[in-house]
Amino acid sequence: MKFSALLFVLYSVLKIASYTNSAFKKYIGKVSAKVLIKTEDGERARMFIFDKGKVSSFTGDQKKFDVALVWKDADTAFSVMSSKKKDASFNAAAEGKLKVLGMSVYAQWFEDGIKLVM
Amino acid sequence: MSQISGGHLVAKYLKEVERVGIVFTISGGHIENILDGLTQYQIRTIDVRHEQAAAMMAHAYSIYNNMPGVCLVTAGPGFTNALTGIANAYLDNVALVVLCGRHPLRDDLTGALQEMNQIDMVKPVTKWCATCYDIKRIPEYLSIAFRQATMGRPGPVFLELPPDILFVSTDEKSVALPVRRIHKTYVQPDPSELEAAARIINSAKRPLFIGGSGVRMSGSGDALAQFIDKTGFPFALLNNGRGALPDNHPLCINDGGFTGIMTGAPQADVIIAAGIRFNWVMQATKLFPDAKVVRIDIEPHEIDRNRASDVGLAGDCGLVLSKLLPLVEKQDHGEWASKLKNAYAAFLITEQEQRKNPSDPIHPNRLVAKIMEVFGEDAYYVADGGDTSYYGLAGFSSAHQAGVLIPAGALLGCLGTGIPFAIAGKLSHPDKPVIVLNGDGSFGFNSMEFDTAVRHNIPIICVVNNDCAWGMIKHSQGMSLGKDRTTCAELGMRHYEKMVEGLGGYGELVTEDADIVPAIQRSVASGKPACINVVTDPTVTSPATVMFYQNFAAI
Ligand SMILES: Cc1ncc(C[n+]2csc(CCOP(=O)(O)OP(=O)(O)O)c2C)c(N)n1
Repeated sequence: MKFSALLFVLYSVLKIASYTNSAFKKYIGKVSAKVLIKTEDGERARMFIFDKGKVSSFTGDQKKFDVALVWKDADTAFSVMSSKKKDASFNAAAEGKLKVLGMSVYAQWFEDGIKLVM
Repeated sequence: MSQISGGHLVAKYLKEVERVGIVFTISGGHIENILDGLTQYQIRTIDVRHEQAAAMMAHAYSIYNNMPGVCLVTAGPGFTNALTGIANAYLDNVALVVLCGRHPLRDDLTGALQEMNQIDMVKPVTKWCATCYDIKRIPEYLSIAFRQATMGRPGPVFLELPPDILFVSTDEKSVALPVRRIHKTYVQPDPSELEAAARIINSAKRPLFIGGSGVRMSGSGDALAQFIDKTGFPFALLNNGRGALPDNHPLCINDGGFTGIMTGAPQADVIIAAGIRFNWVMQATKLFPDAKVVRIDIEPHEIDRNRASDVGLAGDCGLVLSKLLPLVEKQDHGEWASKLKNAYAAFLITEQEQRKNPSDPIHPNRLVAKIMEVFGEDAYYVADGGDTSYYGLAGFSSAHQAGVLIPAGALLGCLGTGIPFAIAGKLSHPDKPVIVLNGDGSFGFNSMEFDTAVRHNIPIICVVNNDCAWGMIKHSQGMSLGKDRTTCAELGMRHYEKMVEGLGGYGELVTEDADIVPAIQRSVASGKPACINVVTDPTVTSPATVMFYQNFAAI
């Protein structure tokens, strides 16, 4: 539950920032990207869609994405994604708790975007 | 009294002083006497089909042999054609000696054939350029040219030789050949700077060593091997430094391509950057804002470019590393290295799957994997193109120095370098397979050099990654302008393999996964320069394209 709530909160923050945060607005202004965040079993999943300045999102597993961050389980996902530590995702990837499917450059882009709003 | 002409004197110097074995050229009236001198002194000439290719081949020859490559071009259009290749060597810091014809001094300002101010045009893209006015001073000028090309930070040099001094003769004995000096004195850092660097290195918990072209140019393989062995630093070798230690070294992260560095650098607490510039290739300053940085560079003013270093060590990489060696402690960073490898592997799962699994149409990552399946690490690879450069960079791996070169990924970003580089690679390593993976767009620039390869029996193997488009441009336009507004980006299906066949080489078209390996094997068996034209998925693009687009989008 906590993980799904976190993803919803993240969506809300990004959505609001897409109207109010000028740095973020510029950052996403020309980019189209589909970023899926989900657990390995597909039980929890949320797609973030960036379409040249607009942010939208919906829940549920998807096959078409530019990048998918696939977490081993919801607890790990929550603790890593809510962590402020710079190496949290790196460690999770190194320990096999996070897999990145598709084009990982979009994951970096997404993470850098989040830094602008958090 | 035996007489020697200026042109022959040029050749005599090249042979007897610099031991030049090959000159890349296209003939021309102004340089006829030098060409005749090359025959006289038995220097091999590789006569090409475009002067750009001559400069690029000499550039690559310099990388493969760690000695200056030499090209000879005629005045006017020969010169202007070579300019792109010279600029490429300039931005790549490669020792290239360009000998060039010139309209006669006698005819200055008369509207002579091919009269133009070449020197002013070439000056901004050379380390040194000059015109020689006196036949007796030819050896002296050549000696300066070679010294300028090779000493300190290497680069291209340009020497203009007018017919007034080439076509006349002088008493051979009256012209002494200069000595070829190897200096034993080097610029080196102060001991206090070395100690400061060693303190940083010894305190590292998550280090990364990034080496560039300077590492290989300094011939620092042994010093680097000892340094890596002692410090236990995981390392990446980029640009022309690739292969200074083999890609399959247990601490090498080159198998992660750029993802390896993108993943590791932001986590590193200490970065040693040796013989590598912090420019766009290294994403300038962005990747590792928090790490302590030790820079080693032969050019002191390079050291703080784009990012202040914690310690800067000016000097030849090999020398500096050997000076550091007694000051650094024996460490084992194996745990961090394997963590790093596991982390970037998690980011490359999709690429690995694309390599492993056949698909229809063929994915370029799969194509690279299939090429590797045939030749393995005991081969030399070049990749040229937009997306194609990425696929080659990420997928090729070699046990040899400069075993994987991606010239279009260098500072000039110059397409068309692949075939000339491969030809120079094969001339340098005739007993090893040399494979160039070419984008179909890039193939167009210098594909007439297949004629050169056929005439001179240089059996390179060119695999065209044919997506029927200028792929990187098409896909980035799709992201920026929209897929329905892409422009000047489509090429259509072309039978490049037939073109190569028509030039006397071997050609095959491949559209299915199962045919890739047999086609390549047949091309090897043919013994001819070969082109395997492989039709690949036109819908896929590489992370490099996404990154470029994101960069522009942020403007
Ligand atoms: C000499 C030169 N001309 C133009 C460009 C601009 N450019 C960069 S990537 C690219 C497309 C390359 O297409 P191709 O060689 O087919 O490789 P692909 O991207 O399809 O793999 C172009 C035209 C360049 N870098 N160099």
